[in-house]
Amino acid sequence: MDILNKFDNGEFAFSKDDIKADFKLLTRALDASYSGIIITDNLLPDNPIIYCNEAFEKMSGYRRSEIIGHNCRFLQGADRSQRARAIIREAVANGEVCTVDIRNYRKNGDLFWNELFISPIVGDDGKVTNFIGVQNDITRRKKSEQDLRAQKDLMEKQVLERTKDLKESQEFLYSIIQTVRESLIVIDPDFKVVSANDHFLKTFKVSLEETVGTGLYELGNHQWDIPQLRKLLTDILPTNNPVEDFEVEHDFPHIGRKLMLLNAHRIELEGQYKDQILLAIEDITERREIERRKDDFLSIASHELKTPLTTIKGYVQAMERMVPKDSGARFLGFLSKTAKYLDRLNNLIAELLDVSRIQTGNLKLHKVPFDFDKMVKETVEAIQTATQNHNIIIEGFSGVQVPADESHIAQVLTNLLSNAIKYAPESGQVHVYISKVSNYVKLSVTDSGIGISPEDQKKIFERFYRAGDIQQRFPGMGIGLYICEQIIKNHDGTLWVESEKEKGSTFSFTLPIQAKEDNEQ
Amino acid sequence: MSNKKILICDDDEGILDMLEMVFEDSPYTVIPEKNSLNIKSIVERESPDLILLDLWMPVLSGDQLLRTLRKNPSTIGLPVIVISASREGRQIAYDAGATGFIAKPFDFSELMGMVDGLMA
Repeated sequence: MDILNKFDNGEFAFSKDDIKADFKLLTRALDASYSGIIITDNLLPDNPIIYCNEAFEKMSGYRRSEIIGHNCRFLQGADRSQRARAIIREAVANGEVCTVDIRNYRKNGDLFWNELFISPIVGDDGKVTNFIGVQNDITRRKKSEQDLRAQKDLMEKQVLERTKDLKESQEFLYSIIQTVRESLIVIDPDFKVVSANDHFLKTFKVSLEETVGTGLYELGNHQWDIPQLRKLLTDILPTNNPVEDFEVEHDFPHIGRKLMLLNAHRIELEGQYKDQILLAIEDITERREIERRKDDFLSIASHELKTPLTTIKGYVQAMERMVPKDSGARFLGFLSKTAKYLDRLNNLIAELLDVSRIQTGNLKLHKVPFDFDKMVKETVEAIQTATQNHNIIIEGFSGVQVPADESHIAQVLTNLLSNAIKYAPESGQVHVYISKVSNYVKLSVTDSGIGISPEDQKKIFERFYRAGDIQQRFPGMGIGLYICEQIIKNHDGTLWVESEKEKGSTFSFTLPIQAKEDNEQ
Repeated sequence: MSNKKILICDDDEGILDMLEMVFEDSPYTVIPEKNSLNIKSIVERESPDLILLDLWMPVLSGDQLLRTLRKNPSTIGLPVIVISASREGRQIAYDAGATGFIAKPFDFSELMGMVDGLMA
């Protein structure tokens, strides 16, 4: 007998010569197994189950009597089209080993997942006599697998949604970048172009292919290869100092001579875009041209207005010189008033031109060192001659030469003195203080006039601003202080006011005594 | 009475009239000229002692004219006072070789003072 032979080879030797006792022991062992175990007889028709252990009864919910004699398929109930069944069928037909996960149903109809291992037993004649089936209930494992898969599906769905959102907002931003009427390019830390927007391509009449991947300095006919720009861009990454309003005038390929305004910023984001540089390029050729034409127009207009003014002034001066001896005070008054308002008209014409030039940044300053105290004295004297009611008193001194545009500084002082006289009609004195403070000269003009309210103090340096209650009582265009502040600012100094309503005002300005290295425009 | 001559060149008739009047009481003889193109020949013919020159004039501008005068050895040292209403007038005038500059509108005494100073 096979079994006896097996036992003889030493694999089983529990109770020598007592096969019955050994058999019982093995049956107990099988019953103790957590896995369900069945044996079928392949030599009988339809391969019926001839043995099952207790675990199989527990697992399937069927009693032993309901199992023995049945083919295994009863466990699948009506769920017959599973792929696992085909695998089993093939293995049985070929007498091979197989392992499948198969849906089985307990007696009460509950589904359980069965990990089934089938192993054939081959007789001496080579025929498969039996199959051993080992079953494990893996329902719980299957469930967690399914949960995991569901979770994964959910996450994938979310990822897809988020990606879609991201893509949408990216496309949204992209469409903005492509629509703006400013040329934008991004360059990497090696100054190679990473991307360029439509406006850039259109402005410079280039294609994306010849732009992206090319070094900034190799673009076109090397228009951006400017030593100063190279330095600024090289400094951006380590220092994070942006390049602001850098002007490039160049004969560009395809589009000719243009004036471009460059602004560059380092990209601050951590991650893949870090240390890239965003470069915005604006074509200001036309704007500059329009500004120039406006300046030219005002230049010509003021010149043309001044020409007849010169003639009138000449005749008025001639009349003043040959006043008939018997002329009355009224006549003399008319003459001096005429002369005074001619000067005002002349100043207004000059101011208009100044405002235009300040706006376009074309106010030209001829900075030559001059004796500051002397300039103040001369300016005060000129004003004093024309003023009977006010006494202008100069106090202090600086004793320095100031590298500035003398005529413009005198213009500022004249304006401040005129204001002090104009807005303090009742008081008799205007004080001018000169001092040297650190490396600045400081000049203050103090009146005891109507004063300026705190709200107005903030605005009086704005163009065309006139303090509210002033408009009716005092004539003027409201550009004098604006020009003054701009002139002082262009000299790297400051102009400010301290004032109290009904007490008076002090306007002060400072000017650096040393010229700044880079102040030549 | 000296016989010194002042040549005045300005394209604006009002200015010319007015300047003629200004110098009526002066010891100088005034030669007014509206067309800057004629200045070269007048200078050759009349040899003025001083020129009052406007800057912005049609065809030949004051600074162009002044530059030609300065290239000519006979007029290289001729006193030329530029009178202009242009804001950049002073710079342009001295760059072109002016002896003096007076901004329009000008003050009689300033102009007279400068002329007298150069004629002395």
